[in-house]
Amino acid sequence: MSQAKTVNLDAHAMATLRYIRASMDAAGSVAVPGSAGIAMGAVGTAAAALSAIPNLRPYWLYIWLVAAPVAAIAGGLLLARSASAIHFVSAGTPGRKLALALLPTLFAGAVMTAVLWRADHIGAIPGTWLLVYGCALISASASTTPIVSWMGSCFAGFGLLALVLPAELQIPLLGLGFGGLHILFGILIAREAAHGRQS
Amino acid sequence: MAAKAKTRTPAGASERQRRKLEAVASTTRQDGETKFERLIYERVRLGIMSALAVREQMSFNELKGLFGDISDGNLGAHARKLEDAGYLSCTKSFEDRRPRTDYRITEQGRAALNRYLDHVEAVIRATRG
Repeated sequence: MSQAKTVNLDAHAMATLRYIRASMDAAGSVAVPGSAGIAMGAVGTAAAALSAIPNLRPYWLYIWLVAAPVAAIAGGLLLARSASAIHFVSAGTPGRKLALALLPTLFAGAVMTAVLWRADHIGAIPGTWLLVYGCALISASASTTPIVSWMGSCFAGFGLLALVLPAELQIPLLGLGFGGLHILFGILIAREAAHGRQS
Repeated sequence: MAAKAKTRTPAGASERQRRKLEAVASTTRQDGETKFERLIYERVRLGIMSALAVREQMSFNELKGLFGDISDGNLGAHARKLEDAGYLSCTKSFEDRRPRTDYRITEQGRAALNRYLDHVEAVIRATRG
């Protein structure tokens, strides 16, 4: 018998285990639509544009506090539309894992916002938002597509920059992050999903 | 037919090798390994069972999304075989006037998958020494 035709039982069993693991991972991840990122990015860009208007500049925090739930609702609705996510979250473990990865960190961000506001450290809020949101995305990437972890890392990097850069650069960084990064990665996620459907 | 799991050991096998092969054989069912393997071992059916082991419920379309270019008929046939064996339960409903089929793994199915995993693990242990 030629060596090439010999079936390696060990390798075959390992390949079977890898296939089972891959099937479980694929079933256990949430398919985040790129359109959700693009919609959230559009809201972020609009908020950045409004904050840049000289008359509205003193009210940048209020603009962003309104934009945040609008973006979250837009993203959530698109997520729900794309994969019957309401059913998915209520009936499936991956949806709960995604919520458990995202929500505690976002809650911490909300608390930090209130604390910084009361302490009159408003200048630290943009950096805190970007950093906390980035960390939330990195946690959530465990139950979504791996590209989300890259997006989270970029947000965290922007957050660190915002915390050390002068105050006049913080609002543009907010716009670049919540506007630009959302749109950029939304497009990348949509392209990745389209490529996955083709292959 | 009482098909007992047999351990075929080579004539020159040592006592240690014989014990390992017996350990692999002990992970198979006493009432017919062939039928059990044919059901779970096939790639699509193994994928369906593995996916449903981590998701409480999946729709037909969600399952289809896991396998790329599989046809509806092919996936339906595999799911039907698992359903007939009692490994899956199936619920049919309507969503926005379109028919929707949801699958769940049964206790029997979960036990079969665990048995299969034990078997694969025993094979790896036996062959790796």
